[in-house]
Amino acid sequence: MSRTVSFEGARRAMKTWMGASLVLACVLTLAACDHATDGIDGPFLVDRFGEFTLVEPLSAVQGEVDFAGGQTLAFEAAFNKQSNWVIEITGQESGAVKRIEGFSREIDDLVATWNGSTSVLPFFRAEPVEAKLLIDGAVLDESPPVTVEVTSARVYPGEEVTGFEEDDPATLVLGNFEFEFDLTATGPSSEIPAAEGESFYLLRSTGGPTVADPFFIGLTSIFPAADGPDYFSVPTTIPEDLFFNAALYSFGTPNTIAVVQVGVDSNGNGVYNDGIDAVVSVIDQPVDWQGWQLFSIPFSDTNFTQEQLETIVAVRVLLISDNNGQPNPPLPVDYGIDFITFTAGGPLEL
Amino acid sequence: MRLFSLPRLLALTLALLPVAASAQAPSDDPDEGIGLRFNGMGRTLLQQTNLGGNLADEDTVTPESQTDGEFVLDLALNAQPNSNTEVQGVIRFRNEFGGFFGAGVNVEVRELWARGVVADVIRYRVGDMDKVLTPYTLYLEEEDGVVLEPEVFRPQKDVLYYEEFYTGRNTRRLQGANLGFGLEFEQGLEALDVDAFVARLRGTNFSDTPTRLISGGRASMSTVPLTSYGSQVNLGANVVYTWDDLNSGNANEGLRNWVLSTDFDIAVLDNPSFNLSVIGEGGLSTVSLSERVREATGLPTTVTGPDGGSVVIQDSAFVVNSIFEDDDTFIEVGLRSVYKPLDLSVTARFVNVGPDFFSAAAQSKRVDFSRALGVYNRLGNDRLERLPTLFDLTRDAELYTFRVSEELMAYDPRYSNVLPYGNATPNRRGARLGIDYTPAEGALDASLDLALLTELRGQGTTELKDFLHLRASADVDVATLTGLNRLFDVTLGLQVEDTSRGGVEVEQVDLSSLLFEAGFAFEIYNRLDVLAGTKLRTASGREYIPIFENFNDVRDFPAPFDIDDQETLLGAGLRYRFRDDVYLTVQFQHLSYTNDATPAEGVTLPPEDYSFGQIFALYSMFF
Repeated sequence: MSRTVSFEGARRAMKTWMGASLVLACVLTLAACDHATDGIDGPFLVDRFGEFTLVEPLSAVQGEVDFAGGQTLAFEAAFNKQSNWVIEITGQESGAVKRIEGFSREIDDLVATWNGSTSVLPFFRAEPVEAKLLIDGAVLDESPPVTVEVTSARVYPGEEVTGFEEDDPATLVLGNFEFEFDLTATGPSSEIPAAEGESFYLLRSTGGPTVADPFFIGLTSIFPAADGPDYFSVPTTIPEDLFFNAALYSFGTPNTIAVVQVGVDSNGNGVYNDGIDAVVSVIDQPVDWQGWQLFSIPFSDTNFTQEQLETIVAVRVLLISDNNGQPNPPLPVDYGIDFITFTAGGPLEL
Repeated sequence: MRLFSLPRLLALTLALLPVAASAQAPSDDPDEGIGLRFNGMGRTLLQQTNLGGNLADEDTVTPESQTDGEFVLDLALNAQPNSNTEVQGVIRFRNEFGGFFGAGVNVEVRELWARGVVADVIRYRVGDMDKVLTPYTLYLEEEDGVVLEPEVFRPQKDVLYYEEFYTGRNTRRLQGANLGFGLEFEQGLEALDVDAFVARLRGTNFSDTPTRLISGGRASMSTVPLTSYGSQVNLGANVVYTWDDLNSGNANEGLRNWVLSTDFDIAVLDNPSFNLSVIGEGGLSTVSLSERVREATGLPTTVTGPDGGSVVIQDSAFVVNSIFEDDDTFIEVGLRSVYKPLDLSVTARFVNVGPDFFSAAAQSKRVDFSRALGVYNRLGNDRLERLPTLFDLTRDAELYTFRVSEELMAYDPRYSNVLPYGNATPNRRGARLGIDYTPAEGALDASLDLALLTELRGQGTTELKDFLHLRASADVDVATLTGLNRLFDVTLGLQVEDTSRGGVEVEQVDLSSLLFEAGFAFEIYNRLDVLAGTKLRTASGREYIPIFENFNDVRDFPAPFDIDDQETLLGAGLRYRFRDDVYLTVQFQHLSYTNDATPAEGVTLPPEDYSFGQIFALYSMFF
């Protein structure tokens, strides 16, 4: 029902309205004072412009670690500002180096946990390691190095062909043209720290006044253990998923070519028959760097079928002299190889 | 239930419309204005600027003097066929100093609008218009570096105001359409006024820049006195929406900015000698970056193609999603008391503006500190960029804009660090006290504004800044005081700001600045005035100037801003007033600038220790 109210009625209504307006103003005031004030606007000024100060020096949460047993090692440190930090862990015997990097104000198990892996070959062994803290690329003197005893090295995934250790069950056979090898050096060696374990396999040609001239210096064949299965064990037979991994060492010797081949049992007799069984070179590579380097090759790069990959019967390691580049008389050539493995799903991760 | 008797539509004529900011305001008498009129503005400005100071002694690259000027004629054609319709167009003829035989001559349309009243009820305007709502919604805050401009610096500032369409009423120049109407009531309510507008802020480039529009309006109402104490309620509701039309061009991202507010002025007590009111405004803003994406609608259907094969058809449509969104609120509430016999007003307010409050049309500044200076932008053999000075702020049109910015604009803490975006400055909470003494008949107008504020959210630290802001001005009509029958006016202005923040050394902020203005205009002979004045600014300390992204997010602090500089601008000259709005002034002005700051490591100081001398002649005529 509509009606026209009197002026007095309207006035009373307006008074009520005015009171309501005042109440509304108070409510608005309270409501409008609720803001998101957590956090800050922009980057921390201390991070942008502050002088770096070490709050807590680097420390390891435990004095020894058993990587093979599944343990990990966490590091801790704290600074006054977010910083680019690096923890550099060095094996005292192997020379292996692991770098853990980050940008944060604190180092804890969330950002700095070591599982025994390495950044630069060789792999760590059971050995004492020393961890140093670097800030913006420079060693922080206020944070002394931390020493931790590694009681067992990390066990890497995949199937190992050979690590060239003394107790390695794989059978090594020095192949043709071994007279071009320097037989005093060629073979399992610890001339330099191995990529994994105590020893690696060194291939070196003759040197001195009578230098090996041929293009093909020689080869070493690796077969499954005599008392074991006929074929090497592989984690998968799908070519796209199966990777061949090997660490090669370069002494910086010029004109050196490394070839690594994988042979499969084409005739099905359980042994490798040269000239009969199919062979593919998975590595064919000039050795022209310095130190250890890991090579990982998927078998999808080869023409091996899934069935053939069930019968890998040999791995052959060849030393080649690049005669096109050799002076006259030619110089000796050499390289090392270690830790040959098969992995599934991807390359071997250091 | 209807509370009131039927309202009476407020009959309007052009005489009741807001006066347009144009070359010359039309007559307020609707019948007198009918017809065709030519009016406009003419201006001649010639100026020579000389570089001096220690810097100039070593500077072998920068020319020692620059001469420039312009001749401008704005011809306004105003037609008013009847008392309810008016149209105006302004054509500009401009010739730069040194241009001749057509070289350097520009002819352009400066202004076009039409306005009128439909059926004596609905007022409308299309084309150029000046709009203002409230300081938090649609508002053009005063420029930096001024409190009460001495008369000697006004001529050049007036040129800037005219060029940038600054009306003195904090309006923004827009281009669009405006509709409004008013209702008068006989009981309870006194009046209800509704005003709405839509305008285009920029056009599309048909590529990655969409058309940007702004729309909004205000509905306000006031009651009759409700009690014997004279209690009265005035309420207003405001809305402003700035958005990008993603259907224009090929842009897929655009701005969406809503600002809603309610303002109130509730007179608790009102009698012939005293008024006490609760005043304030509260509201909220949302700002978002919206993205237009094509999304499938319904299920795909398979049809037979022209070659007999199957073709899958999937219907789709554009939808707009928010990439990110920020919202926040603000409130300003307080008491205002007015002692009417003295025209003395005292206002105390509590303000609380959220850190994420974003109102593009209220926070956009007049001075765009990111722009290059128009005069001697780089100095010295190293060609370093100058910091803006009072010399630039009083005359450099390159620095000024009336545009609505999509991002919080750069600001210079030496001139305004406490409220760089005016009342709508985000991230501020505290108290403000205002005292105004403005008698209608008197020899003194004075005002004081004190703000004690703090941040709500830290910038670069959890520590919060504390702010002090004091502005005071006085305009003394000495002629009235002394009984002189000639112009004798003295103006004084003062602004003091202090910003401080604790914390570790790198977080600490301590910036103080002072701006002092004084000037006089004295009529020494009939219509011949002597003008003289000075502006002095000092700033010292450290502050961090944020760089903004995504409308109002702090992206970074490029470097600590260390400053210890001072500048003095002196001006003196003569002005002859042929009549009101027609004058010739010849002046000499001198700026000296020094900076003794020790910069932070890796920071290069801008040029220091230089001076400018400028002599100029300005003839200005409105006809």
